Formats: sequence, C-alpha cells, structure tokens
Amino acid sequence: MTAGYISLNVRNHQYAGRVAVILAEAVAENPVRCCQSTVVDYRFNTFIRVGAIGDELSRLSGVAVHGYGAYIPMFRIKASEIARIWGVPDSELPVLEKSVNSLDEDTVTIAAEAASYAIARAGIDPDRIGAVYVGSESHPYAVKPTGTIVADVLGVNSKLLSADLEFACKAGTEAVELVSGLVASGMIEYGLAIGADTAQGRPRDALEYTAAAGGVALLIGRSGEGAIADLEYAASYVTDTPDFWRRNHERYPMHGSRFTGAPAYFHHIISAAKMVLDDGYSFDEFDYVVFHQPNTKFPYAAAKMLGIPAKKVEPGVVCNVIGNTYAASSMMGLAKVLDQSKPGERILMVSYGSGAGSDAFVFRVREGIQEKRGRAPLVSELIERRRYIDYALYLKARGKIRE
Amino acid sequence: MHAVFRPPVNWRHRRFRYRLVVWRCQNCGAVHHYATSICRRCRSNRVAEDKLPDRARLITYTVVKNPPVAFEKQAPYIVGLVEFEDGTRLVAGITDCDLEELKPGIELERVVRKIAEDGESGLIVYGYKFRPAITRGRYTPGG
Ligand SMILES: [Zn+2]
Repeated sequence: MTAGYISLNVRNHQYAGRVAVILAEAVAENPVRCCQSTVVDYRFNTFIRVGAIGDELSRLSGVAVHGYGAYIPMFRIKASEIARIWGVPDSELPVLEKSVNSLDEDTVTIAAEAASYAIARAGIDPDRIGAVYVGSESHPYAVKPTGTIVADVLGVNSKLLSADLEFACKAGTEAVELVSGLVASGMIEYGLAIGADTAQGRPRDALEYTAAAGGVALLIGRSGEGAIADLEYAASYVTDTPDFWRRNHERYPMHGSRFTGAPAYFHHIISAAKMVLDDGYSFDEFDYVVFHQPNTKFPYAAAKMLGIPAKKVEPGVVCNVIGNTYAASSMMGLAKVLDQSKPGERILMVSYGSGAGSDAFVFRVREGIQEKRGRAPLVSELIERRRYIDYALYLKARGKIRE
Repeated sequence: MHAVFRPPVNWRHRRFRYRLVVWRCQNCGAVHHYATSICRRCRSNRVAEDKLPDRARLITYTVVKNPPVAFEKQAPYIVGLVEFEDGTRLVAGITDCDLEELKPGIELERVVRKIAEDGESGLIVYGYKFRPAITRGRYTPGG
C-alpha cells in the first residue's frame, strides 16, 4: 500500500470536509500510526487506518521539535489544605500540592504563554507557523476556537490551520500527532501543538486534590540544523472506555473511581507502549520514560508492569508538586526531561486520555537542545515560582463561589 | 441580554491589546490603539504602525476594590501606570504579585491575561497586563 494511493482516494472525497481532507492527506503522505484522533468524519478514520497498515509506517522521518515551552501558574494549594476541609488523613493524598490558575488566567492565556516560550526557544519568525492546535478539556468557549485567539496573541500570520482538540488528558499529544503529519507531508513548515488546561474537580471529589492548571507547547518542524529533538515515532491506541466524562453544560466531570485504573489508564498506556516494542524498539534504548501523570503512583506502577526501572521515570515526574495538568500532563513531563537531557538520548512519552486512548512517541534529543534550553524558563524554575493559597482563595480563584 | 462589550470594538483593538501594536502619528506623536490613516489629534496622514516594548517600569498603582461591570470577578485587582524606555506611558493591569513587591521603578514584563468577562454568556476579553519580570529578558511572555 503506497501513500500516493491513499492520497488519491482522499482527493476523490472532497465532500468529506476540508479539515478531514487536509488531515487525512497529511497523515497519509507520511503516515503516523494514528487511529481516530478527533471528531472529524468517518472517512477520515477510514483513511488513517489504511495508512497505518504495515509496521514501518509508524516510523516518522524528518520531523523534529524545534522549540518547547511550559507554563505553570504561580498559585499552589497543598493537598493537606484540601484534606483539612474534608477530614481526610494526609497519608491518603495522591500528590503533595497542585497548581491553581490565577483569576485572570485560563486555557487561552496559559496556552499562549507556553507557546511564546516555544517560539522563543526555536528563535523563528511566528509568521512561518502554519498550524496552531490547542488540546484541552477546559476551552473557555463551548463554541469559538481557543486556537485563533492564541494565534493572534502570538502574532502568527492568518494563513493558518487552527482547531481545538478534545480528548481528556491526551488532547495535547493528539495535537502533536496532527502537526507532525502536516509537517511530514510538507503542507506546513512549522506548527504549534499545545496542551493546556485549568482542570475542574468537584469539591470533595478525589479529583479535587489533583485537577491542576498548566500548559506545554511544542513547535514542530522539519528535522535539521538547530532541532531540539527528532520525533522518530508516533503511535496511538484507543478504545471506547467510559472511565471519565463530562456532559454538555455540566461544570464538573464524572468518573468511574477504581475503574479509572486497570481497564483505563494501565490498559491503554501499556498497549501503546507495547506498540513501540512491536515496531522494533526495546525499552533499553530509552534514557527517559514519561507517562501521563494523574497522580504520583500511576506512572511508576505502569513502568513496573512494563519492566522499566523507576529511575527512568523519575526525571519526568511533575505531578507530585503541580498536580495533574490534564492535556499538558505528559507533555510537562517531556518538557522537564528536555530541560535536563543530552544530545543523543532517547525519550519515550506515552500520554493517556480518558474515554480512552494513549499516544506513544519516541524523541531523540539533538544538538539544538544545548543552545536553546536557556532561552525560556525551565520547568523547575516554574515550579519554584509559587505562592500558597488557602481553600477559601482557591474557591474564589476557581470560580466556585457563586451568588 | 445587554452586552457590555461590543464585538466590533473589541475586535478592532485586539492587536493593541494582545501585542501592544500602536499607530503613531509621525507629525505630533499621538498614539492610537487601532489602525487609522489619519491622526485623531492633528489630522496628519503620516501615521505609522509601531510596537510598544514588552518591558516597562512601574510609576505608580492603585487597587480597585469596587470594580465596574464585567470586571467584578477579578476584584480586588491592581491597576498601574507604567512607563516604557521611550517615555510612553500606559495604564495597565498588574498581575501575579503582592502589593509589597510593587515599589516604583521595578521592572515589569508584558503578559496576556483575561481582562474582563461579559457575564457567563458574553465575550471574554483578553489583553496585556504587566507582572514583575521573571524571565530575565530572555524572551517575551505572551507573544
Ligand atoms: Zn498627529
């Protein structure tokens, strides 16, 4: 099966909608193994699956990260402060503390600041960016794209592809898959893939301890001089698993409690990680392994199940001190690892989004990291910039005080 | 429902609010916050696009505790007078800081934040604010 054949088929289905055609073409030209990534059109899914036949197709060539940027709001609330309100013993808390957005921050502002750092690291003219995709479960508008506001804030030229993505905590890595396909096909020179969230947890719910705010952006372009990391491989694994959801017009999500573990997080993370093995990698090749971090325990537990030593996971763990930044969670771990990695090292990143699916990526760090790392704040610096608030201020900051 | 922010006005000012792009009169120096070909002050047609810097110094500030409509959610909030290197002054929201930090002359950097919200159903207005500089001049936060 050749890429040209797939592309031709797609062209014959112009009525499938412009977005579907563009995405399917891009992915088919240089296929990312990517099942149904987002709500586009059934024809889109059909063509992506066709493109994914054959093991070699998941290997990407010529796609690289040229800039990355993280942003974490400065407010923190300690899990013990939340526990104080509900009489929960400190020994049962999933993280130490979590980040909280300030009253004037939301997914748009967080995405824009993270992206501005990615552009600063890449050192490119924003006009060369051809796509801005923002993945989030907390887009400020139900209808009106986050991406167009972010693009205008950044001063990106209007000749641009932009869409908002949604897939719980993997909405950000979904953007990475799509932008990579567009770059690989030559349809765009550079693209921004952003995961950002101001996640909501219902008071007293288990998620209240971890639902945090933060964003990470990757500026993706062709491999070559100045690249920070080559994106060598991308694969995705999804099933219909109802572990966590939020219906229209509802303010807080629902979840299946213990059901969020084995059949949800672990099944998808492990299945996606095994696709990486099936395609010829061995875990020994990875210097760092980053998994989605809904709490501090899960990424280590997944590593243990896969026989990956904890010391490869530890450098990318951020959840204990900032909580779960949802669409930014695994990308935040990646940013923290890039902050400390050396050229030649390999990073495995596997995201997880409820509903459910995992995206797996292999990055190979390049020389560009040395020069570009210092051009924007490190994740550790953003973690250090913090101010503690109590539960009352937290309620105000999260808009939970209602008249 | 009465809309506090009219979309066309909001839209016309976005380049100024997002990136501090201004239209400066080459004749009298007047600064406009929207694209115009004629100076509103002196009627000169020598108006050119310009951009205010991303760093400024704090001149003074006040704390707003009784906010106007659409600004209620963020109250109390800080409004400051800031000055750029070239002497241009601007009134701007000040964010991410304690009052004790706000000594006149401290260096501030531009960020883009939520400015106001037109209730639960109207527009959300985004724009520049300034915060005590944390990035050591390495880049521009918020674009
Ligand atoms: Zn004039």
